Amino acid sequence: MPSLAFTVASRVIRQLTRDRRTLALIFIVPLVVMTLIGLSFPETTVLDYIAPALLTTLALFFGFLLTGISFLRERSQGTLERLMASPVSRLDIVVGYLFGFFIFALVQTLIILLFTIYILKVNYHGDLWQIFIFQVIVIVGAVNLGIFISTFARNEFQMVQFIPLIILPQVFLSGVLWPVEQMPDYLQWISKVLPLTYAVRGLRDIMLSGQNLIDVWVELAVLVGFAVIISVLAAITLRRNA
Amino acid sequence: MLRDSVIETAVEAENVSFNYERLKAVDGLSLQVPKGISFGLLGPNGAGKTTLIRLLVGLLRPRNGKVRLLGQAPSRKTAHLIGYMPQLHSLCAELSVTQNVEFFARVYGLTDKIRRTGRAEEVIRLIDMWSRRNDSVQKLSGGMKQRVSLACAIVHNPPLLFLDEPTVGLDPELRVTFWEYFSKLTRQGTTLIISSHTMDDASHCDSLAFMRDGRIIAGGSPDSLQQAVGRPGATLEDAFLHFVRSGEKGKDA
Repeated sequence: MPSLAFTVASRVIRQLTRDRRTLALIFIVPLVVMTLIGLSFPETTVLDYIAPALLTTLALFFGFLLTGISFLRERSQGTLERLMASPVSRLDIVVGYLFGFFIFALVQTLIILLFTIYILKVNYHGDLWQIFIFQVIVIVGAVNLGIFISTFARNEFQMVQFIPLIILPQVFLSGVLWPVEQMPDYLQWISKVLPLTYAVRGLRDIMLSGQNLIDVWVELAVLVGFAVIISVLAAITLRRNA
Repeated sequence: MLRDSVIETAVEAENVSFNYERLKAVDGLSLQVPKGISFGLLGPNGAGKTTLIRLLVGLLRPRNGKVRLLGQAPSRKTAHLIGYMPQLHSLCAELSVTQNVEFFARVYGLTDKIRRTGRAEEVIRLIDMWSRRNDSVQKLSGGMKQRVSLACAIVHNPPLLFLDEPTVGLDPELRVTFWEYFSKLTRQGTTLIISSHTMDDASHCDSLAFMRDGRIIAGGSPDSLQQAVGRPGATLEDAFLHFVRSGEKGKDA
């Protein structure tokens, strides 16, 4: 990581860790959500099937929300504007924020994953570390998406409005609730451009069919490509919206 | 000879324009600021001062015209030559005074920890915030935040300093302290570009540009602008109104 990106990242991490209430919520909210989910699915076979889609959807949701709101604050506080006038490059800024927010999204995802496996006792195939690596790729995309989308919001209210616009359609069209194959053709085409489709399919293949990361390389490649494209778009739109 | 004159110019804008959609924020504006002076951009709210400063520091790209800072177009190469204090405090609210100042010191290239810590201490003492150095910024008053914001802008000793409404919200005593410090900086050779809408700030500047509707309607030293009114005892406020009215008369004619 470039040195100035590291400086930005360590500042973001320090800033969030000094905000104790936010820090507490980052830990508590996933626990509460997972407890509720556990109580809602007393049938373990249903939970076993839905767990991969749930894990990856929550990773996308929490990563997007945490980053979107935090990055918006950087803009409304003016710290982003100040950084843009400094010798820090736009790439350093995006990579720095990405890494800073990624750490917290990673913590949340890890809590959700461990809770699902060890408390809800979901049955799964495949290696735990491979599930974790797959989720890491999903989070990188989610964090980048949060940074990118927040450049179009002027305040927290607008940012929250992007959730039904960006996250909910993916939940409905990516095979989380019902198989993509059962949807009309035109919706199936839409599902092909949604990153959550590949995240759900990939994690299901690992957790339900016991495949490994190499077996799901197509899904991984799409998710990495998505993360790269979104981070480039975020860097481009940064100046206009600083 | 030509080269010398270019180098003596700290900031140059040539026929610069910028629009926010249909609103002309800066309209074909030109100015030259010599090195080592305090230059005031004076005008009412919405006159285009902040947009002009954002154009000069490179945050916005002009739709037309050119900007040069110390002979170069604004870029990442010139960024370390400038200090920028935006209108908002633009600080990390959860971090302490020291953490904020040290962060910007690091961003502006003070990589050596001992040097960085030493310089941060120097500027924090200068703004008289040493006793509050470990407090998070969100616990500070508006005036204190303003001081910390200034410290972040000057921590790397830039030769060019852009201050957007630096004295807004300051009490009279602190305002005097700020201006004493600004005078000290110009004596040391730093060029200051200061936007303001108060005549008190304007009277401290070596040179002024009156701005209105994205244009400079008059420029010169505070004395020369006051004299242009043609009435003994005329204030800078009178001078501003004089140029506004003569501009309107010109339009009518």
